[in-house]
Amino acid sequence: MSLRYSVFMILLCFFLGVHGQEKQNKFKKSFKASLVIDSDFSYEFKSEKSQKSEVILKPEFSYKLNRNSKFILKGQLYTDFSDNLEVGVPKEETVSNFSKRLFIGDRTSLELREFYFHTKIQKKLDLTIGKQQIVWGETDGLKLLDVVNPQNFREFILDDFEDSRIPLWSLKAEFDIKSIDIQIVWIPDNTYHITQGFDAPFFTKSLFKSPPEGVQSTLNEVKRPKRFFADSDVGFKLNTFNKGWDVSLNYFYYFDDLPVFYNKLQFNENNDPLIVINPKFERQHLLGGTFNKVFGSSTFRGEIAYIFNQNFASNKPEANLGIETSDQFKSAIGIDYIKGEHIISAQLFSDIITHDISPYNRDIFETNISLKVSQEMMNDNLNSEVIWVHNANHGDGYIKPQISYWLNTNTQLFLGSSIFYGNETNLFGQFKDRSRTSLGMRWGI
Amino acid sequence: MKTILVLGLLTIGLLFPANSIAQSLPSGKNIADNTYARNEGISLNRTLTMELKDKRGKTRIRKTTSLRKYFGDEKRLAIFYLTPKSVMGTAFLTYDYPDASVDDDQWLYMPALRKTRRISASNRGDYFLGTDLTYEDIKLETRISKDDYNYKTIGLETVDGKTCYVLDGTPKNNTIAKELGYSKVKLWVDTNIWMLRKAESWDVAGNHLKTTLISDIKKVQGIWTYHKIEVKNHKTNHETIFRISDVDYKTELNDDVFTKETLVNGL
Repeated sequence: MSLRYSVFMILLCFFLGVHGQEKQNKFKKSFKASLVIDSDFSYEFKSEKSQKSEVILKPEFSYKLNRNSKFILKGQLYTDFSDNLEVGVPKEETVSNFSKRLFIGDRTSLELREFYFHTKIQKKLDLTIGKQQIVWGETDGLKLLDVVNPQNFREFILDDFEDSRIPLWSLKAEFDIKSIDIQIVWIPDNTYHITQGFDAPFFTKSLFKSPPEGVQSTLNEVKRPKRFFADSDVGFKLNTFNKGWDVSLNYFYYFDDLPVFYNKLQFNENNDPLIVINPKFERQHLLGGTFNKVFGSSTFRGEIAYIFNQNFASNKPEANLGIETSDQFKSAIGIDYIKGEHIISAQLFSDIITHDISPYNRDIFETNISLKVSQEMMNDNLNSEVIWVHNANHGDGYIKPQISYWLNTNTQLFLGSSIFYGNETNLFGQFKDRSRTSLGMRWGI
Repeated sequence: MKTILVLGLLTIGLLFPANSIAQSLPSGKNIADNTYARNEGISLNRTLTMELKDKRGKTRIRKTTSLRKYFGDEKRLAIFYLTPKSVMGTAFLTYDYPDASVDDDQWLYMPALRKTRRISASNRGDYFLGTDLTYEDIKLETRISKDDYNYKTIGLETVDGKTCYVLDGTPKNNTIAKELGYSKVKLWVDTNIWMLRKAESWDVAGNHLKTTLISDIKKVQGIWTYHKIEVKNHKTNHETIFRISDVDYKTELNDDVFTKETLVNGL
């Protein structure tokens, strides 16, 4: 009896052991973890001091349940030793409670960057549910359709979009009808752009109309939409590929990620004039599309966006609460020429206000151009590139040269500069004192 | 003695007339056709590791998952970067059409931009993502081009212990030569399994450019499969070693793996 029992127990232990080992092996095969560390030290020419000394740890975990389903988690530990770009602990008034960062002291924050479940149902429907980035559009440098996720303007537009884009809790469904790929997005996360305070290096003052001299102003707290369903953003993208043409049509019903700064003149108890500013997020419709096609060594691409009822700060004294509304048409055409290790990419952006209004600090018709020249050398070991963005109306812009070098399999070094020029009342020119040189390293395992 | 030698030579001459060896060898076109007729399975899933070694010996390693599937005569190839982690998620997709006059369609997904870029396929002589093989070399996958070269079968030689046909190839015209980046190629094709085992190439100026060795060839699930490609660039002294592992022909890949959506969403 005891022998039988012993044999039974040995077999049971063996089976459980094997089964346990199998489970462990399966977990090992399904679970993947990685870490990327980015560091960037930037020196500001004008102030002759450090603009940022940041180190970012980016752990990523994935778990594959089966061939069709997986969980992804991407975290971030961000430290800026200079505590310069976002001084102290920001209030994050424009961020929903679910997407706020956790600050540890003034210099460090923890953030759940992405956390989603992706599954494929019966090979027909792809669902991605959770905190994620959804990127539309074809353009580089300036955004037309890439408005699904808001952005942190801590470094204006110098930061990599991957880092400055704020992931949102959302649902993305993708399926095909005949040869058309359909993507539907639903975003209940009421998080909008993070703009910086008046004292921050990259406070975008060109967007705000200054009160007349001697007149005080009060900025009230922004009214952020908070209803889960009613204030959700929704949209869809249709994409097809036919005879070499890659074409998409996009629609998005959303709150503009920048609030409208309604303002009115009041008088305080001493009868002194006071401008009261009441920022509020407003709904918009966006209709747009993209196309691209290859011709020989070049790819021709374009993007358009038509925004209904865009609000603009107005120069007209009679404008209701200082705001005028117009539709806005934006377009971009670009060409990427690739020859060997060289890439030349040029883009022409147009931005037209369709109604007869007097917008503050911009023209009715604005044109930006961009040029990117890049060269890979030494079997992609060394890369050099220059990006130039220029506003043809106001003569301001920025130039960003950079070289990067792979030190070994896991380590890449960066050395670059960002140089703004132009009048300080304009979008790019206002940051000419923020021109900098940067040294960075990226390491991953 | 002299008479015996003359008679002997005459006998050999009668039995093996001049050029008979060359005449018995198959034509270049025939060999090229046979490399295309080789069974490659319908779909293929494999791990492809690229080892990039510069002239100082510094080595960078890129590990990818490489997927390939035939849709009739059209071939689709997708490569997803697994390491290094800082470029993880980079993915490349190509549609290779059977009509040689139609350019392939190619896309590259760059995770840092979260954007999928169309890439021109007309520059087929460009080097593939920092390696020493060109886009065209990658596309051919140890077959030899049917349309780009005039071949001459010059003999039989042994490579890696296996008998190979040796072919000299010259591009059909200057335009093709410039596109491919080669003025001449010499190829060694296995007589038994119709797989390229070795290639030498010369640049457009006529300088010796590259030596390619294909080895560790064995049957996987009944299909002859190469597991190692070594490419040495004699001009730059750069070297790339491609190692292929975890080869699976049997698990059928979903069609939607070869779409832009999968480039973005990952595997």
